[in-house]
Amino acid sequence: MSNLGFQQFPEYQVPGVQQADFSPYESNGGSIVAIAGDDFVVIAADTRLSSGYNIHSRDQSKLFKLSDQTVLGSTGCWADTLSLTGLLKVRMQGYEHTHLRTMATDAVAQMLSITMYNRRFFPYYVSNILAGIDKDGKGVVYSYDPIGHCERAFYRAGGTAGTLLQPVLDNQIGHKNINLSSSELPKLTIERAVAIASDTFISAAERDIYTGDSVLINIITKDGIEEKKLQLRLD
Amino acid sequence: MLNNYNGLAQPFWQNGPAPGQFYHFTGGQQQIQNLPRELTTAGPYGTQRNTARITTGSSVLGIRFDGGVMIAADTMVSYGSLSRYQSIDRVFKINEKILLGGGDDFADIQSIKRTIDQKMIADQCRADEIEMKPTELAMWLTRVLYNRRTRMNPLFIDVVVGGVNAEGKPFLGNVDLRGRFYEDFVVATGFARHLAIPLVRESKPAGREFTAEEASNLIRKCMEVLYYRDTRNTSKYTVGVCTPSGSVVEGPYKVDENWSFASTIKGY
Amino acid sequence: MSILAYNGGCVVAMRGKDCVAIATDHRFGVQAQTISTDFKKVFHIAPRMFLGLTGLQTDILTVRDRLMFRKNLYETRENREMAPKPFSAMLSSFLYEHRFGPYFIEPVVAGLDPHTLKPFICNMDLIGCPNEPVDFVVAGTCAEQLYGMCETLWRPDLEPDQLFEVIAQSMMNAFDRDAMSGWGATVYIIEKDKITERSLKTRMD
Repeated sequence: MSNLGFQQFPEYQVPGVQQADFSPYESNGGSIVAIAGDDFVVIAADTRLSSGYNIHSRDQSKLFKLSDQTVLGSTGCWADTLSLTGLLKVRMQGYEHTHLRTMATDAVAQMLSITMYNRRFFPYYVSNILAGIDKDGKGVVYSYDPIGHCERAFYRAGGTAGTLLQPVLDNQIGHKNINLSSSELPKLTIERAVAIASDTFISAAERDIYTGDSVLINIITKDGIEEKKLQLRLD
Repeated sequence: MLNNYNGLAQPFWQNGPAPGQFYHFTGGQQQIQNLPRELTTAGPYGTQRNTARITTGSSVLGIRFDGGVMIAADTMVSYGSLSRYQSIDRVFKINEKILLGGGDDFADIQSIKRTIDQKMIADQCRADEIEMKPTELAMWLTRVLYNRRTRMNPLFIDVVVGGVNAEGKPFLGNVDLRGRFYEDFVVATGFARHLAIPLVRESKPAGREFTAEEASNLIRKCMEVLYYRDTRNTSKYTVGVCTPSGSVVEGPYKVDENWSFASTIKGY
Repeated sequence: MSILAYNGGCVVAMRGKDCVAIATDHRFGVQAQTISTDFKKVFHIAPRMFLGLTGLQTDILTVRDRLMFRKNLYETRENREMAPKPFSAMLSSFLYEHRFGPYFIEPVVAGLDPHTLKPFICNMDLIGCPNEPVDFVVAGTCAEQLYGMCETLWRPDLEPDQLFEVIAQSMMNAFDRDAMSGWGATVYIIEKDKITERSLKTRMD
């Protein structure tokens, strides 16, 4: 310590001096569910924005339309979500201007991963699920961790009630632990996907205080995006 | 933990987990936070600087109504528990379309206000008859505040931005020290989040906006409640009103005090 | 990591029409390492009553033994069977006796009252705060997943065979999303005249 003949201060924090403990992160809650079918994809998110026991807004959409074929659901630290989606919007526009066409869902997925990994050592604290129609016209879901790990899937739940909802989707959409032949299993239609997404949110609103108020459902097909809204419990 | 020889086992990589243990990602609680670089100086003594909030304003309450917005804040700026400044306006007219209510550290509010005022002068100098709109100011604030928090040197402010956008559409939003932003028909900072928001949400008529009269009655009621129950409140408050015809900050008004109920409160 | 999640495991109990079900997984591990895959955390403690304990394995065994001692003492003194309700009350006060040095377990009680045959389910936190809902109770490392599953699948007045299907599906799909639970499961259906024990084959990873 005293190699210079006097006591040096340590490089961080001096005893006796209170440093304001500032956390750059905050969890603002919210959940997302996305289900992909053969030629459609359904993505749903609740509209509650909260921190701790405060509900800031009961009507905040967490779904971001990136193109006519791609919608991003993003929850976690709302400030990070705004920052990230703002950046994505700029990049989508930049791509459109340089290449004179809209970015395909697969490309958006890859770009999102890279954008998130750019902040590897100070991550965006967000849970992202990207839903869209891929190049072959098939519905597809991509899910991410906060540092940009990307996985392609057919169904995914994320956000504060993600742990509650993922096994339900495994069971109802993935038909896990069901010993029936594929002909006996119900076919995944838009109606069934919307019904299951709605049901999972009704369940989540019962047990997760950060999920509630209402659900916004986007149904993406090759013809465009249809929006639906479902009221949830407000407590 | 896992095996008795585990303590001796070499981690997989630098600071990594020993075999059989879990890896803890950085950003957790254990991480030591250094002061942001712009707050330190090189040299043997380093730097000591206080980065906490000092003089603070408490509640700001904003309500959106059919023809515009109203933002109210009391005139107290406290120094810890000391009622340090008792008649400071915390609701500002930014231009004819924008109102700003400032909560939390007042020095940081003044600092950001100076920058905004400079922007307004620049805006006027263009003489293009385009005035800045509240959405634009709010988005600009999110970028400033988010960048400051990302550098771990935040502006300790919590502001309510209100006004009218193009075509006279009312706008009301909140931006906090992390750059979190949202819009709603009622937004608040400080104690008003706990005391006033429930009162306003409760009175919201389904399917339509508040009228100007309802909004002003609610502001009056909420400022009274806040004065009774928030120790860092004073009985004087100012109200900013912004409609398509312009923005004004009115007041200071006085809370219509009535302490006759006080004798009924006992037991704690 | 919480000591309650040191060994892993989960238990869930549900109410049906004139019946109750309780299910347990089979895993016993030490953090990420699986030690054994035949550790059942549910104990048959009276003709129509089961006790499920999740949490620290050493405490599971201790609490079970101490509770059986107290229950046997009660039954010897009173010369009658202990019903689930007083048993839960006893369990609650037993846990609260150790308020400042608790057993790291989360108990679940399921059974039928020996006289009225009314279904009863109950769970507690580690210091004995009781909860007796009408639908289901969950405990263990995949409690969140179980809440999601049970909340979606459960409905009132399930018949015993339907109840089995609901609890089995809830259990399996919940612990398949938890690294610290699973490796097989057992379901017990308690009806007034019989108890059915069924083993579930599940994925072992």
